[in-house]
Amino acid sequence: MSGKEERVSRSEEAIILHHLDSLMVKEQEISGVLVSTGDGFRVASRLTGSLSAEKLSAMASSLIAINEAVCKESSLGACRDLVIEASQGRILLMDIPHPAQKLILTVLCRAKVTMGQVLWAARGCRESLGKLFVGS
Amino acid sequence: MSDREYKLIFTGSMGAGKTTAIAAVSEVAPVRTEMQNTDHAHHVKETTTTGLDYGVVTLPGGEVLRLFGTPGQVRFQFMWEILGKGALGVVVLADNSSEDPVGDVLEYARAFADVIDGSRAVVGVGRMDVHPVPTLEDYDAALRGIGVRVPVVSTDVRQREQVLTLLDILFYQIDAASEFSGAALQEVP
Repeated sequence: MSGKEERVSRSEEAIILHHLDSLMVKEQEISGVLVSTGDGFRVASRLTGSLSAEKLSAMASSLIAINEAVCKESSLGACRDLVIEASQGRILLMDIPHPAQKLILTVLCRAKVTMGQVLWAARGCRESLGKLFVGS
Repeated sequence: MSDREYKLIFTGSMGAGKTTAIAAVSEVAPVRTEMQNTDHAHHVKETTTTGLDYGVVTLPGGEVLRLFGTPGQVRFQFMWEILGKGALGVVVLADNSSEDPVGDVLEYARAFADVIDGSRAVVGVGRMDVHPVPTLEDYDAALRGIGVRVPVVSTDVRQREQVLTLLDILFYQIDAASEFSGAALQEVP
């Protein structure tokens, strides 16, 4: 299984992690962030506890893929963000612009988060990463 | 709309033809959840299913089969568990040109053991015309070794009739298992 094959270089991963760290500093109620490929491989992550970045990457891929299928089936246009409301927090998933491959940004938030604020910050992070990839 | 509906699973390794098989027989536009494949060391195909495939087939007897295809890779095992709930049988597809197709089939047979329950499955082996080994007997012997007694047939899932044949065989297996256990076929809740 070649799942451990490097999707980005170490320097690229370091730059991505810098953006993820900035997002977490900006929004204290964000408890974890992950960047993964469209087909479910981890690219970079800041997760706490026993959370598996590899498993979460696969789940993010499935969720985004099903989300896109639902949007298509409903004729509601292109899929944008996916927000999951849980009893103890929220999970936000969105595409990151990339010239060569689909990347997914997953943001885990605690329950008391102000959704609009986090959404704004996450979109900012998404745009920054997008510029990074498109400009590279 | 028939009042008898059954949920069936298509599973198998990446590139075995699950998406193709469901698209070949579905009466409705199939639901696909394909993403760009970045794991080219594992398989050269451009896209891979990461969510599910979905299609519908109505048998001549009026039974409506709801077909759910799984992602093939082990990292999507959580989807196998989700999709397997409430399923009555499994079509396991194999690509005989892959590195260890018999081992792959055993892995899916184990993963869906609760649904298969020893016999509620059919194994369809593709590309046997250009890769005759392992043989159907090899698959059969390996499956019997883990207590699974199911038909193993050569197939080309691009051909609608061949996929329908797989479904006919599976439906027979489910029917026979239900009769053997004294229970009628259960409808999807």
